[in-house]
Amino acid sequence: MFEREDETVERVIQHLRRPVAIDPGLDARVMREIAQVAPAGRRVRPLWPLLAAAAVVATVLVARPRNRNAASQADTLQFVLVAPQAASVALVGDFNDWDPARSPMQTTHGGGIWATVVRLAPGRYRYAFLVNGVEWRADPNSPAAKDDEFGTPSSVITVGGRGGGGGS
Amino acid sequence: MGIHKVEPSDAELVRRVRAGDTGAYGALVSRYRDRLGRYAVHMIGDREDAEEALQDSFVRAYRSLARCDDPARFGAWLYGILVNRCRTTGARAARRRRMFVRDAQALDGAAHADQADRLDWTDAVDRALARLAPDYREAFLLKHVDDLEYEEIAELTGAGVSALKMRVKRAREQLQKYLREAEHV
Amino acid sequence: MILAALLLATQVALQDPRLDRLDPDTRSAVAAVVDSARVARLPIEPLIQRALEGATKGAPGPRIVTAVRRLAADLGTARTALGNDASAPELEAGVAALRAGATTQILANLRSVRRPLTVALSVLADLVASGVPADSAAAAVLALAPKARDADLVEFRRAVERDIALGAPPGAATSVRLNAGATDVTAASSGNPGTPTRRSRP
Repeated sequence: MFEREDETVERVIQHLRRPVAIDPGLDARVMREIAQVAPAGRRVRPLWPLLAAAAVVATVLVARPRNRNAASQADTLQFVLVAPQAASVALVGDFNDWDPARSPMQTTHGGGIWATVVRLAPGRYRYAFLVNGVEWRADPNSPAAKDDEFGTPSSVITVGGRGGGGGS
Repeated sequence: MGIHKVEPSDAELVRRVRAGDTGAYGALVSRYRDRLGRYAVHMIGDREDAEEALQDSFVRAYRSLARCDDPARFGAWLYGILVNRCRTTGARAARRRRMFVRDAQALDGAAHADQADRLDWTDAVDRALARLAPDYREAFLLKHVDDLEYEEIAELTGAGVSALKMRVKRAREQLQKYLREAEHV
Repeated sequence: MILAALLLATQVALQDPRLDRLDPDTRSAVAAVVDSARVARLPIEPLIQRALEGATKGAPGPRIVTAVRRLAADLGTARTALGNDASAPELEAGVAALRAGATTQILANLRSVRRPLTVALSVLADLVASGVPADSAAAAVLALAPKARDADLVEFRRAVERDIALGAPPGAATSVRLNAGATDVTAASSGNPGTPTRRSRP
């Protein structure tokens, strides 16, 4: 009786000890947050040499509403790409005429976190990242644009206008 | 033989972060994310809330790194932050704790019988775990899943060792009871 | 008269400097599609953006023209389903939903229970892109559409995608999340001020 109980609990323990899949973008989100709150008075050196080794080649973080203008219902969205090896990154999409010169992304503290802010009215937009002027990358954390007719990956973001934003 | 990568210690990484090397913190995040993430997921039950708690804990730890008295024990200190964060999340997550595979309709979609069995067992364990009182669940996970010593758990939770032993014992008994009930459903 | 109007419209499209990024033949063909869409009172900006996407991605001219023509046709289908008062964003999202496999009847049904529809249609399309059968995705969005906020719909989509990534069959993940989330959506819609705001996710 007691042995059987122990076996059951032991089986539970072994089950619970199995690895749990954690969102691979979490590391990058943490790093982006702490980059914004770097303690005052500290010199921030280029980051990522270690994280880069452990992380996927590039992880796109967030397209996230920051605030809402009630009058226009437009959202200010920050797009972030983690690409430690990139020399340049541009955000291109339906909102900037797919022109790489319009939304060049900037590195945060020179550490491979590329970010730019775009203001978007409600709607569904296709977009992609252009790395080093030649390499197209979709956003792995946003829905893929399945109707890609030009042979390179794109993603989709939807900006909502009814209740709670809905930026995705 | 072969190439061996020497990992810097927690103390060394904490020292580098304090000196302004923000990137060193990325190594600490990578080092602890899976283990702490597993605790948060089992403790809270809702994966998204768990990841949010984990993310917050890493950020809080960074902000208060100056108060980490023993950098060599950064992991234990971080655990303490997460345990507290899970307690505050747990209360609101409990009402919407949900497991995605838990009804016959979902199981109909399983391709194979063994997959269905596995999902069934996962569901039963999740449900049993969810029924435990939070302090029982906390003690059980820290002791048996995260393999901490009672003294370490006492330090993290603020509870006495004897109380923790009792919680773990009760948790084991209740898990057994709940799983036995599930077998007969 | 109509011919004159068309010629005038064509001149307008050809004067759009953005189309200078296309080679002359492609530019003329795209301008013609854009002008036809303008006359039909369809949104033209999506057509221009699709052409510019092709240009930036280095696609051959004929492929760009085909993509723009197809989009114009689909915008027309979406408008037929959603009605003449549908906004440009709704029509674009409607195209995505149609291409994902939703029927025009589904679009019409959604229109009858919700305005604006942009996010609902987008979520439908994105669920299908994640592997959810089109009928299951449509049924789920139809069930949620009357009460859910846009943010709730997006959260629903994320939850389903996460479950799929963890191994759940897409159809089952959708139905289970739908059942599990029903009370959450209701609670969220009540606007309980004590509910902490969830950190938004990618």
